[in-house]
Amino acid sequence: MKLRHYETLYLLHPDLNDEERQERADKLQKIITDDGGQIVKVDPWPLRKLAYRVQKQTQGWYVCMEYAAPASTIQELTRNMRLDESLMKFVTIKKDDTFDPAVLERAKQEAEAKAAQEAAEAESGETAEESADTANETADAGQDEGKE
Amino acid sequence: MQRPSRPMKRRRVYVRRKVCRFCADKNLVMDYKDADLLRHFITEHGKILPRRITGTCAKHQRKLTTAIKNARIMALIPFTSDHALERRPPRR
Ligand SMILES: [Zn+2]
Repeated sequence: MKLRHYETLYLLHPDLNDEERQERADKLQKIITDDGGQIVKVDPWPLRKLAYRVQKQTQGWYVCMEYAAPASTIQELTRNMRLDESLMKFVTIKKDDTFDPAVLERAKQEAEAKAAQEAAEAESGETAEESADTANETADAGQDEGKE
Repeated sequence: MQRPSRPMKRRRVYVRRKVCRFCADKNLVMDYKDADLLRHFITEHGKILPRRITGTCAKHQRKLTTAIKNARIMALIPFTSDHALERRPPRR
């Protein structure tokens, strides 16, 4: 079946705990993968203030889910999101009529790069700083020569 | 009864841009999730600014209105300032 490139942003009730939010995410992802779709990326946002009150709440958990799926999946996904009262709002947009599998690879690389960067920052950036200094000195020397 | 006279109307001054921001900056992606970006294209009451004021080209203005509407639906930006949580209380 032909896959299209979609993105769904949904808003969960602020009272849901980590486990309850994970449950929702797993369920929605399962609907997609069971239908032959593929998850590109799931990005949960930190608790965020809403622009206006929704179900009397002033904040909520946003989750952005990017995926490839056949068009028929969207109906099933939408039906499920409507049934869940703790899922206060959602919007699904089509990013592309076709799905380029390279997107998956890119997302994977981005996630790895991000993880590596965080790990490096956690350790120490001393080595990197040192080599940067040396590079700057060389550049400065080059400039001086050019002026004279 | 007479209403107390109000001070001069406050009017936000918008910088007139000659070129479309989205055409000028290829790295600037139109995204309904980017509330801080969309705020540049709505009035303080939440209305969409016409492109003669923002300088946005026709093509990008069409995409912009869709983005703004999706952002409103998702409570990322207000429909009107009257319902907004952040802005000042409703005007009367
Ligand atoms: Zn433009």
